[in-house]
Parts: sequence; C-alpha cells; structure tokens
Amino acid sequence: MLSPKKTKYRKAFKGRIKGETKGGASLNFGSYGLKAQEPERVTARQIEACRRAITRQMKRQGRVWIRIFPDLPVTDKPAEVRMGKGKGAVDYWAARVAPGRIMFEIDGVPDDVAREALRLGAAKLPIRVKVVTRADHGGAMATEAA
Amino acid sequence: MADIVLNVEVRENIGTGGARAVRRAGRVPGVLYGGTRGPVPLSVDANAFRKALFTGGLLGHRVTLQYGSETQTVIAKDIQFHPVNDQPVHFDLYRVEEGQLIRIAVPVRFDNPEDAPGLKRGGTLNVVRHEVELWAPAESIPEVLVADLTGLDIGEQVRMSSITLPQGVQPTITDRDFVIATVASSSAMVSSEADAAGETAEG
Repeated sequence: MLSPKKTKYRKAFKGRIKGETKGGASLNFGSYGLKAQEPERVTARQIEACRRAITRQMKRQGRVWIRIFPDLPVTDKPAEVRMGKGKGAVDYWAARVAPGRIMFEIDGVPDDVAREALRLGAAKLPIRVKVVTRADHGGAMATEAA
Repeated sequence: MADIVLNVEVRENIGTGGARAVRRAGRVPGVLYGGTRGPVPLSVDANAFRKALFTGGLLGHRVTLQYGSETQTVIAKDIQFHPVNDQPVHFDLYRVEEGQLIRIAVPVRFDNPEDAPGLKRGGTLNVVRHEVELWAPAESIPEVLVADLTGLDIGEQVRMSSITLPQGVQPTITDRDFVIATVASSSAMVSSEADAAGETAEG
C-alpha cells in the first residue's frame, strides 16, 4: 500500500475538501482515465484495491498510472476509551480527492479492455467516477478503438 | 476534411461576469487575437462549438469565422474545459494568414499494431509523446501523424525520423531524433518467461 516515506508532522487536522480540483483534471500519461465526480477521502487500501482490479482485468498488459497519493494520516482512538488524553494513533493513510481529479490512467490495452478494467476499478472506490479518454477533449486516440 | 465554419458574435461584456452571462445564454465565450489587429472577445453557440470540437476536429484545423458578411481564417490555439464535466468553457482563436508558419501540437496515431512482433509476444506499446509539436504552414496542418508499428520488436522505438511529414512541416525539436513510443516488455510477459525458464531448469 502507498504511504509517505517520512512526514514533517505525525498527525494532521481533519480538513475539508472544498470546490473542484485545482489541477490534475486532464490526462497526462495514458489514453484512458478515471475522473472523480465528488469530493471524498480515498484510503490507501482503496487505491490498492482499485489498482489490483485494473491490472487484473488488463491481464498485466499495458501500463497503469496512479495520480493520487495518500499523504493524509487519519487517526483513531481505540475502542472503549474515554474522550481526552490526546489525539489517537495513526490508523490509515488517505488522499483528499476533489471533484475533477484524474485518479488513475491506463494505456496500452484495447478500448473494450480499458473501459472494463476502469469499471471494475471504479467499484473499489468510495465515490462516483467517470471514464475519460483523450477524445473527450477533442484529441485523437493513439490507436483505433477495437 | 470539410472546412469548419463557426458563426460568432462579438461579446460586449468582458471578464468573469460577462463570460458567465454568455454561458448562461447557451453560448461559449472566447477570444480572437493574433496578427496586426487587437484582441476581440467573441462567443459561439455551445452546441455548434461542441459539434465542431467532437466531430469536426476543431483542434489542429483551420477554422473560418463568420460574423455577418465578414470572414476570418483562424486556428483554435487553446480550449479550456470544465474540470468535472469536461464541457468547453472558453476558447482562444488565433488569426492566421495564408502560408504563415504556425507552432501546433499534432496527435500521433499508431497503425498496424497487429504487425508488430513485440506486441504479438505480449509487449506493451509505451507512448512517450501522444502529441508532437510542429511548425506547419497554416494551409497544410496535418490532422494526425501516423506511426507505423510494422516489424517493431521489444526494446525497439518509434522515432520522429520514421514519421513522414507533409511538405513544409517540421518538428519544433530539431537538435535530436526524439522517441515517440517504445515497445516494452509487460509484467505478464516477464513472469511467463520466468515460469518457462523455471520449468526448463526443473526438467
């Protein structure tokens, strides 16, 4: 699973995800991508589950790029512990994802395989997403659709 | 491809508020600049603009703007999209004259993947550049650059020199023969080869 190698601070404030993504809204590497349609924290486990679903469907052909990184430490208190006594321990890592953010990109597989892989990957994520292609911005696809 | 004609109107109100008012009226705001004349704020019907963009190939083509009886030849220099719904929200058009050299990014298409032995053996086409920036005369901007994958094996590359360009067109990068794509071995192929080697060693 993805997590930072080192951090400046051990724990972080909860924060809010406001507005739309400020960057990362267009395809940079591949021909197909998954674009977030709503704001949510996506955990490192969910990112890994999505990646596995995609690569499995692609039969480990082609390439996958992950465009989000879980750099937000989320803490939790143990069960049956009274309030107070400080913030809990880090439980998991998450990425704050704003609407419009391209989360995954893939390339090197036929159109039908790419769409099915992204559909299966999307099922592992906690938010609504849509599949985007280079043609969505008036560009040309690298290979003809099968 | 047929010439794209866009019927435009000149916008009176500029800035964010003006642009939003235009969008509310079902139009796409934009700006026309270039040449010796100053910039002009414009708007185009949103449906006509989307049709030109998604079916006519607005990007990388000469476009004729029609305003009353006036016409102007332009190219689409930039189009901004909404980050969430990917609808066009603004466009930049650039005035061009006949024979004028234009710097433009042209998409690359890869043909004959079935004739590439590297891809047949399970390799992956690793596209390094989806678009190549070119200097092209305004009247002969190539719609797409075609890279032929015939005979390409694993570890081999498609370089700029292997792509045929129309007369008068040249890449903006001229100091090196840069790579467009490579055929790389995929993880599936590496593991299957390792399995085969293991079976041979055991046998």
